[in-house]
Amino acid sequence: MKKILSVSLLTLMLCSCGGQKELYSWGNYDKTSYNYLKNADEDSQQELMKNYQEIINGPKKGKKNIPPGVCADYGYLLVKQGKVGKGKEMLKKEIALYPESKIFIDRILKMIDE
Amino acid sequence: MKKPFLILALISIGLLTSCGPKIAKSKAYEGMYNEKPLSVLLMPPINRSTNVEAKQYFHSTLSKPIDNAGYYVISPFLSMAILKKESAYNSEMFLNSSLTKFRKIFGADIAVFTIINKWDKSALASNVKVDVDYIFKSTKTNEILYTRNAHITYDTSVGGGLIGMALSAVSTAITKYVDVARTCNEYTLKDLPAGKYSPKYLKDGKEIAGKKEFSKTF
Repeated sequence: MKKILSVSLLTLMLCSCGGQKELYSWGNYDKTSYNYLKNADEDSQQELMKNYQEIINGPKKGKKNIPPGVCADYGYLLVKQGKVGKGKEMLKKEIALYPESKIFIDRILKMIDE
Repeated sequence: MKKPFLILALISIGLLTSCGPKIAKSKAYEGMYNEKPLSVLLMPPINRSTNVEAKQYFHSTLSKPIDNAGYYVISPFLSMAILKKESAYNSEMFLNSSLTKFRKIFGADIAVFTIINKWDKSALASNVKVDVDYIFKSTKTNEILYTRNAHITYDTSVGGGLIGMALSAVSTAITKYVDVARTCNEYTLKDLPAGKYSPKYLKDGKEIAGKKEFSKTF
C-alpha cells in the first residue's frame, strides 16, 4: 500500500511540474547580471564577462547551450573595453547562432565602424 | 488502509481546483499563437512603487524565464545601452504609443512592459508583497498578446539560500529581494506559450491557461 501511495504521489508531482527543463546553461547569471546592472563598475563588469566566457566556452558547446543575447552582450562589453576585434567577432557569432538578431546587431556593427 | 487514498484524493482535488476556470492557452493567448513572435525586447520596468531598487530587481531577472520559454530575448545590456543612448529609457512613454520603431531598430516582434505597482516590505510579518503587471505588446499591431497581473507575497524569513545564490558582494537582504523579483517573474511567465526554441513550440495550445490576475504566496 505504501508503495502505491508513493508511486502515485511521485507521478502526481512529476505531472504537476510540467517537465520544463532549462534550455540553456546560465552559470551564475542571476548574480552577475544583477551586480552589473546595479553597480556597473569594473569589478561587476569583470565578473559578468567571466560568466559569459564560461557559458560560451562551456563543456557543452553548440547552439542550445549558449542562451540568446550572451555573445552579443559579451561582444558589447569587449568593445567597451577597447577590444574591438574580438568584440565584433562575438557580435557576429550572435548572428550566426540566432539569425533573428541580424537587424539589430548589423546596426551595432555599423555604429562601431563609424 | 483507506487513509492513503483519502490523502491522495484530497491532494488531487486541491491541484485540480487551484487551476480555476479552464481556458485553453490557444484561446487565452490567441494573439501569441497567431503572430508566432520570436524576438523579444525588454523595456526597462516602470516602477510605480515606493522602492527605488525594485526596478533593478525585476529588470535583472526578466530575460532568463523568457529565454527559457523558447523566445529570443534581444541582448539585454546592449539593447538597454541603445535605449539609454536614444533617450528612450523611460518605458512609460511607449506604453500607449506605436511600437513600429522597435521593430525597425531592434528587429523585435514583441515589446515587454512590466509595471511594478507595489513593493511593500513588512518587517513584522517578514514578507514582501508585490503587485506587478506584465504586458507583451506586438510591435506589428500594437495589440496586447499576453498580459498577467501578479500579486505575490514572498516570505523573506526563509529561503534565499535554497537557490544557492551566494552573493559575495551583496548583502543577504538584497539577495532575498532579487529572489522575490525572480520568483515573481518566473512564476508569472511560466504560463507563456512555448516559443520557437522550446520543444513544446505550437504543441501547448490545449494546455489550461493560468488566471490573468492571481495571488500567490511563496
